[in-house]
Amino acid sequence: MAIKSKRYEEARLEASTNLELYWWVFMRISGVVLVFLLIGHMWMNAVITDLNSIDYEYVAKRLSQTTWKIYDLLILALGLLHGANGLRYVLDDWIRNPSRRFWTKVVLYSLIAFLFFLGSLSLLNHDFGVN
Amino acid sequence: MYRGREGQWAFYLHRISGLGILVFLMLHVANIASAMWGPEVSNALMKFYHQPVFQIGLLLLIAGVLYHGFNGLRIILMDFTAWGVRYQRQLWYGVWVLFVIFYLPFLLKIGGGILGGSHGD
Repeated sequence: MAIKSKRYEEARLEASTNLELYWWVFMRISGVVLVFLLIGHMWMNAVITDLNSIDYEYVAKRLSQTTWKIYDLLILALGLLHGANGLRYVLDDWIRNPSRRFWTKVVLYSLIAFLFFLGSLSLLNHDFGVN
Repeated sequence: MYRGREGQWAFYLHRISGLGILVFLMLHVANIASAMWGPEVSNALMKFYHQPVFQIGLLLLIAGVLYHGFNGLRIILMDFTAWGVRYQRQLWYGVWVLFVIFYLPFLLKIGGGILGGSHGD
């Protein structure tokens, strides 16, 4: 997002809503939460568990428990939103051509939305058949 | 804007690791979601990802997550404390101390697995 404003008053004139402030706050809150969730997630599946033993059965056992469904859903939702907004900062910085920037965003946001759909389906709607 | 040195490196590494994590997250979600197509499809994909190449990738990813996370905490301190920006360089070295402490167990476990050849053939 090309920042042209140098002072607070100019920034106020350039911005029409507080949306950027809300994203800024979201990045910090989701960031702190994700640090803990992800260290826990990686520790459980790569240090305590032998990574090479992970198969369908292991995933099914974990994801048949509501606790891990919620845990993973939180990572999925916060991670994709945090990632999507971070990606927006990068694209706004690095793609100068407005129409190319727009279409890159359309494609990548659609991909992220699709993955959220796919991920939440497998977490919430799939019967892993383990009791 | 940072004028070179540590602050600039902190920024670039934060970006690159962030992008890398997003790419991994997409592959990872697709991999886990493949469970919906049954154990055969799912197990075939997991076996594919158990190859040493991908485990080295995983070690890189974990490094990225730990760096991005700890440097994110540094950014938060810089935003919300009066002294954070003044000590951003010292904080960055703190990030690396935390990084090494947390990364070692992963490096030993996964690295040992790769060297020991314990990847499910």
